[in-house]
Amino acid sequence: MTAALAGIRVIDRSGPEGNYCGKLFAELGADVILVEPPGGTALRGEPPFAAGREGDPEASLRFLAYNTSKRSVALDLGQAAGQEILRDLASAADLLIETDPPGWAAARGIGYTGLAGHNQRLVVTSITPFGQDGPYSGYPADDLTCLAFGGLLSLGGYADGPPLQAAGQQAYAAASVFAAVASMLALLQAQASGQGQHVDVSVQECVVMGLETAIQAYDLEGRVRKRTGGITRRAGSGIFRCRDGYVFLMASGLGERFWVSLLDWLDDEGAVGMEALRGDAWTQPSYLETDEAKDSFLAVFGAICQQYGKAELYRRAQKWRVPLCPVNTPGDVVSSAQLTGRQFFVEHPLPYGGTALMPGAPYRLSQTPWQMTRPAPRLGEHTGEVLRELGYSGERIDGLRRMGAI
Amino acid sequence: MASQPLAGIRILDFCWVGAGSYMTRLLADHGADVIKVETSTNVDPVRMSPPYADGVAGVNRSGYFTDRNSSKRSLTLNMKTARTRELARELVRQCDIVSNNFTPGVMDRFGLGYDQVHALNPAAIYIAMSMQGDSGPERDYLGFGLTISALVGLHHLTALPGREPVGTGTNYPDHVPNPAHAAFAVLAALRHRRRTGQGQYIDMAQTEPTIALLAPAILDYTVNGNDQSPVGNQSPGRAPHGVYPCRGDDQWIALAVRTDGQWQATREVLGLQAAAGADPDWSTAEGRYAGRDALDQVVAAATAGHDAETLARQLIARGVPAGPAATADRVIADPRLAHREHFQFLHHPEMGERIYNRPPFRFSATDNSLTRPAPLLGQHTAEICRELLGMNETQVDDLVRDGVLS
Repeated sequence: MTAALAGIRVIDRSGPEGNYCGKLFAELGADVILVEPPGGTALRGEPPFAAGREGDPEASLRFLAYNTSKRSVALDLGQAAGQEILRDLASAADLLIETDPPGWAAARGIGYTGLAGHNQRLVVTSITPFGQDGPYSGYPADDLTCLAFGGLLSLGGYADGPPLQAAGQQAYAAASVFAAVASMLALLQAQASGQGQHVDVSVQECVVMGLETAIQAYDLEGRVRKRTGGITRRAGSGIFRCRDGYVFLMASGLGERFWVSLLDWLDDEGAVGMEALRGDAWTQPSYLETDEAKDSFLAVFGAICQQYGKAELYRRAQKWRVPLCPVNTPGDVVSSAQLTGRQFFVEHPLPYGGTALMPGAPYRLSQTPWQMTRPAPRLGEHTGEVLRELGYSGERIDGLRRMGAI
Repeated sequence: MASQPLAGIRILDFCWVGAGSYMTRLLADHGADVIKVETSTNVDPVRMSPPYADGVAGVNRSGYFTDRNSSKRSLTLNMKTARTRELARELVRQCDIVSNNFTPGVMDRFGLGYDQVHALNPAAIYIAMSMQGDSGPERDYLGFGLTISALVGLHHLTALPGREPVGTGTNYPDHVPNPAHAAFAVLAALRHRRRTGQGQYIDMAQTEPTIALLAPAILDYTVNGNDQSPVGNQSPGRAPHGVYPCRGDDQWIALAVRTDGQWQATREVLGLQAAAGADPDWSTAEGRYAGRDALDQVVAAATAGHDAETLARQLIARGVPAGPAATADRVIADPRLAHREHFQFLHHPEMGERIYNRPPFRFSATDNSLTRPAPLLGQHTAEICRELLGMNETQVDDLVRDGVLS
């Protein structure tokens, strides 16, 4: 079976904003070369680390998660010799992903214009906080501040507390996945026309895509959406505490279908005080928003929740087609019957030895399956191999090593 | 400017609600002819979800719908009739991609399961985006964007320690992980098809891409046995890293200090030299992180008198990542996004000039500005029947009257 992206070579010169983008290419079959500075790409220094290996550049779990299936070349792009190697790499590549401040690469002769001069079909994707030009272009940012500028921060959190960041560096995640889409669009076009181009991805702008209805609520209704966490909006929906954590229920506000299913389920459970939940009032959205309705519902449903753990509630509710699910921890996710049944997690080698279960295919392509082909690379692990492929002699490689260019 | 990258690609799109429609809009916005198959007998639920133009409900008035369906054409087909299924099969023959996000089995009942589509059009790329994927013991379990966040761990991790989980306040998987992963998979399959002529089947569960983006937390569990608890706005090893109050009602600034130099600059901008900032424990990242609770209080007291946007500008100018927690009204007016022409106002026949998100990336040689608003329900039915099914006006009218095209 051939891979979907077989024959495509990607130079991944990215930092935290783009490492996952390169991984998406690598695991559909592209040859992705992670070009790192001599000290390693930034994620190698980011926690969490494997226990007992804190600070080890081969043991950052954040790095390992987003760099599987790539090869690593360590290059000093501050040196002319390093820049020349990058130009050679880019001459034989289809896509280069980078996350440096605008102008940084151009000043070293390795920006889009400099590289495209040697390779017309090359696509260069630049991911930066605010884009290649315009206000604040080149200014410092971080995942959290991109969430702030992009508006997602203002929507998360408790009504009575500060705005709350989405966990897991989701601004950078959003930039990575939208950059992958943009790069793929430009690659398709380049493969058809022979002409590549420069793709400019703004992290802030990628975050804006995740605002759901907030932008339209303001434009259409003049309403500024705020965070509402910690407040039960209507009876029959929301977060409920159970024996070992929380469950999320969405049985109201979506028409009567789920409410009817919910009552059937609760009857079957022999819930106490069911008479309080019957009657026409419960089909009125305005009633569901009253404290009386919320209190009545909690009295009945809260008692059921206290009888079971979240996994058991999930199973019981779904049997009655009630939209309830557990609020899972990462550990719960790993042991999920559904994900285990689909063999989603894959046992994969770690660069420092041993193996670990890792998230596997995010999509399943029947003819060109997703594949994790190698562990995340050790820093510079493939420098010699890749340069030899470019036709560099052993002697030249040794010389570059002595200069510290590689 | 080059033509759109997906010009000439036709998509028969059975997606509705969130993630699926947001995926096909990314393709439509880049030149694909996306035919959204709908029915007035069971309208896309987001057509009847707020916000509405001027707050007035109606199937052609929802901003939730329009922003997920720009650049598409709408065809109404009542899939319950045999004649309709015959028409759908004819359309399948003329399409490159068939998409849906139904529960497994629904498309098979329409006669449009993958095997049936493949028999009609072996080169078709078929993407199914059900919530749980097409296999596994819980494949028929139901849920929505919000419950998916809970199921995959994002909700649990997005919380203040000791309080109930709140999540991002949005249907995050619907807007970032799922549409972007699905679009990437489809584009990769398209690349494979251009090389081999081969179509294929793509199964994408609406849970798995978000888990892929939470991979560091998953690895922390599988490698270290650490089942992560939420950390609010903190970031391991870094302080100050948080969201602090500013002058005015519900105004906040996000601050993400990484280096000692950034901390020094923060102290100067906030006027903290003489006071608590002189505490030597805070001169190093280790000291600041260890003392983060006290440090957060000192920073919050100092930011409280400042205007959020002005303070952010001062800090950024000094090299400190900072940003105001922008609400939607501020995001719409953001000068960086304006420079990139992110928001576009398109004329919709019933709603008037209304706001749309443009895709969050720019190409140097391809203009991806939007030109077509979301369609009215069935707006292009007659046009598509003439163009692709060779019908004349009378035949179209007859089928409308018979309820086939409704």
